[in-house]
Amino acid sequence: MFETRPSSVQHPTEHRFNPYEMNGGTIVGVAGEDFAVVASDTRLSEGYSILSRDNPHLYQVLPKTVMGSVGFHGDCITFNKTLQIRLRMYEYENNKKASTPAVAQLVSTMLYSRRFFPYYVNTIIAGLTNDGQGCVYSYDPVGSYEREVYRAGGSSAALIQPLLDSQLGQKNQGSFELNRSYTVKMSKEEVVALVKDIYTSATERDIYTGDAVFINVITKDGVVTEHFKLRRD
Amino acid sequence: MFLTRSEYDHGVNTFSPEGRLFQVEYAIEAIKLGSTAIGIKTPEGVVLAVEKRVTSSLIIPSTIEKIVEIDSHIACAMSGLIADSKTLIDKARVEAQNHWFNYDEKMSVEAVTQAVSDLALAFSDQEDEVYAMSRPFGVALLFAGVDENGPHLFHLEPSGTFIEYEAKAIGSGSEGAQQNLQDIYHKNMTLKEASKHALSILKQVMEEKLNATNIEMCTISAKEKLFHLFTKEEIEDVIKEM
Repeated sequence: MFETRPSSVQHPTEHRFNPYEMNGGTIVGVAGEDFAVVASDTRLSEGYSILSRDNPHLYQVLPKTVMGSVGFHGDCITFNKTLQIRLRMYEYENNKKASTPAVAQLVSTMLYSRRFFPYYVNTIIAGLTNDGQGCVYSYDPVGSYEREVYRAGGSSAALIQPLLDSQLGQKNQGSFELNRSYTVKMSKEEVVALVKDIYTSATERDIYTGDAVFINVITKDGVVTEHFKLRRD
Repeated sequence: MFLTRSEYDHGVNTFSPEGRLFQVEYAIEAIKLGSTAIGIKTPEGVVLAVEKRVTSSLIIPSTIEKIVEIDSHIACAMSGLIADSKTLIDKARVEAQNHWFNYDEKMSVEAVTQAVSDLALAFSDQEDEVYAMSRPFGVALLFAGVDENGPHLFHLEPSGTFIEYEAKAIGSGSEGAQQNLQDIYHKNMTLKEASKHALSILKQVMEEKLNATNIEMCTISAKEKLFHLFTKEEIEDVIKEM
């Protein structure tokens, strides 16, 4: 099955340009009844080096829509710029600002348009639906997306998602109930407190997450940002 | 060296010394030869009604199509050179579907009209230039639909100008029909009332006697936001109540 070569034979080593880099960072989104919370840490890394301690991975694309984007930093900022252009064009062509669900669909088609040379990004979109409900959408790098109640993305996703399942989804804790709601029943204060604890815990184990966490709370009045310090080692 | 006055209408994109584009103006004149089309906007929705000129008893009237669906929530009525409308209708439909594909929402009536108006001036008679048309489009369109801001009625003419109306008539009988619309229009008309008015005004401006086969009618209700083309039977019911 495998081709074997005698170790004495010299063969050329191939040097290839690798266009991608993983720059770390963790994002979390939670949809409330009349608010949405999206948070990110502020660390930017490359291998064992820290490139920045104050680089939040949140991009406010509209007055009430925030994108969390982590992965390859170059792709994150380019994708954000392209999205901003598309949203400005939307505004000119349709005489209105795009709704969060419209942004959500647009992000999906933009990511899929790069199906065979993808943006190396994990994305979460948070905002409000047309009837004022909090909404969170999550994406894979090629645009598969879903509206969700809560979602963690980035380097600590595998650490945080099970915690959210337990604390927000009440998964496997008593009688099975099919949840048809797209929002959590908690207040924004409770969600923000939970997010701070979650980041404190993730920072303890993940070297690509840390320094500080930025928490954006989106309501009908706009976006309020909160900061919280994390371990810096 | 200078062209004589009458020569300024040869090139389709040449301004006359008075600043006029004659070919565009002639295209607008072409609309006045077309069959009459009427649109009325009400709080309950929008109605479109058009006259079909069935010039021979051997014509199958249903093949004369002057009201078309753009998307489930937008309709379009036309007057003038109907063949010219095909390019414009195609553009409108593609834009509406693209909008849904990219944004997961229905395109607004104004945005559709705006997109189509971009084509209106995309003409040139230079052979080396690639444009949608070699001359201005000889057709006027009425875009009727319901979007998130309620019912809308837009009129688009060959110059690319589009204006929103409460009620608008285009085509050969438009002058008389527009005056009639002005007289009967009031802000809280029901959709049924508007349908009856549209038909009775058509009846007045049509040369042939109005019946269920020589007109077309559609509504887009504000509640359902759905295009509905009237069947022959439904038109007969409205005629009876007129």
